[in-house]
Amino acid sequence: MRQTYGKHLPAIKLSDLPGKLIVIEGTDGAGRTTQINRLKPWLEELGHATMDTGMTRSRLAGEGIRRAKEGNNLGHVTQSLFYATDFIDRLENEIVPALRAGFIVLTDRYIYSLMARAIIRGMDPSWIRSIYSVALKPDVVFYLRIGIDQLLPRVVFSRGFDYWESGMDLYPGHDMYDSFCKYQAALLAEFDSLSEEYKFETVDAAADADTVCARLKNRILGILEPSRQEAVVSNSRPDLIEAMTQSVLGNLVTKSNGAKAHAENCMEVASHPLIAHASRGNGRIAL
Amino acid sequence: MEITSSIHIGPFEILYPLKPPVLSIRHNGNHSYPGRLFVVEGIDGSGKSTQLSLLHKWLESKGYGVVFSEWNSSPLVKDTTKLGKKKKLLTPATFSLIHATDFADRTERSILPLLKAGAVVLCDRYIYTAFARDVARGMDREWVRDLYGFAVKPTVAFYFRVPLETAIGRLVGARDGFKYYEAGLDLGLSADAEDSFRMFQGRIIEEYEKMMPEFGLTIVDATLPVEAQQAQVRKIVQAHLETAKNLRIRP
Repeated sequence: MRQTYGKHLPAIKLSDLPGKLIVIEGTDGAGRTTQINRLKPWLEELGHATMDTGMTRSRLAGEGIRRAKEGNNLGHVTQSLFYATDFIDRLENEIVPALRAGFIVLTDRYIYSLMARAIIRGMDPSWIRSIYSVALKPDVVFYLRIGIDQLLPRVVFSRGFDYWESGMDLYPGHDMYDSFCKYQAALLAEFDSLSEEYKFETVDAAADADTVCARLKNRILGILEPSRQEAVVSNSRPDLIEAMTQSVLGNLVTKSNGAKAHAENCMEVASHPLIAHASRGNGRIAL
Repeated sequence: MEITSSIHIGPFEILYPLKPPVLSIRHNGNHSYPGRLFVVEGIDGSGKSTQLSLLHKWLESKGYGVVFSEWNSSPLVKDTTKLGKKKKLLTPATFSLIHATDFADRTERSILPLLKAGAVVLCDRYIYTAFARDVARGMDREWVRDLYGFAVKPTVAFYFRVPLETAIGRLVGARDGFKYYEAGLDLGLSADAEDSFRMFQGRIIEEYEKMMPEFGLTIVDATLPVEAQQAQVRKIVQAHLETAKNLRIRP
């Protein structure tokens, strides 16, 4: 049975969640996305159905957050809660159904980034912990750690400074460089303190991407060992694959009533990451 | 959750002084807000909005600077709530969180600064609505109370207490049908909208009843004539304005 950090949500049944929840955490520019883009095809080649998710990708709140960030009037409490809404929507509608269907879920950031960001914006740490006490405990949290000195050249010479990554909402009046350094240093300190509390596995992200990836793969293989054996079994059970696909379909469709909404959902189902994988998986999906 | 102590900030207290995540509250903890905050609570059909509107007009006629803030009305958040309701995307947890986000925006952007500026702030529904509805949807009672730990405690919270059948009687004639989430149809209690509404609002009433002693809600008998209720409300509000004469913006 999966565990949470203390509280349960009425819509989440904690039993029968055989998938694996793998979290990649780290500050901006630590290379999280690069690693996820490598890990996902690798896991799929090994025969594991894999889905990835990340901040502001929820159907409910993703667009609302993007719009709110365009203006300059998003308060810190509001911002923290908007992100919590986005996270819980993805937890209930993406992460849990995928885990139920036996998928490996790779998540680009999890509650820890959200907590760190909120805390350095002055939110009470016990308040933000209480909100996220309903989150599932992951199988592993990889913390891609990088110091500011190594981070700066990556940001400056690739994409440049971003308003939010530089914490300009926190330090108005500073130029982007000063603000960036201050903000990222504060985030780093917060991550380091969360690291102990939540048992992160720290990976030195200053190393080159291949080295970081090799380290992650090695650790992930250790976690997946039992599932890989099951994957062999499922190879000869196309009926299970079918059942899983149906269950994912069911999950998406039960959310709507009426023919119009149903038609809409069917279109979405076709492009839903879970279904795309299920139909591409050719019996290689670990259940 | 039990409230054991409170920090007094002028006429206000922060609901949970141990968890004040609003920066301005923490940093200005010793300041005295000159404004007043009156909120109305009750189930749909209790008549609370009518009462608040009458209070609003009266306060304005007395020369106070009055500002009204409605549940679920933040310009930053309401489109997301609307999307969630229209597409039926909301679960008990996201229903709770999106309403808390809306309330946070109104607290940060209008309620708190206006109280500091000395306004009389009137809220149609406040955190108690969330406590009642979210718990009726199966959310953890303590989790929801923690979620709203940033809220400013009202000067007076009126609870318009009405029997369920009276409220339904008022609604049936006045509205075209019961809305999906308001009737709790997302919970699958009953396929019939009116039945579902009855069961869901029944649960909400139970929660309100528990909150009356917990939060010291001021009870108004909402079966009385409108005029009698309003007289009672004005008398209570008046008492809290007497110590705040400086609120008058015109003679």
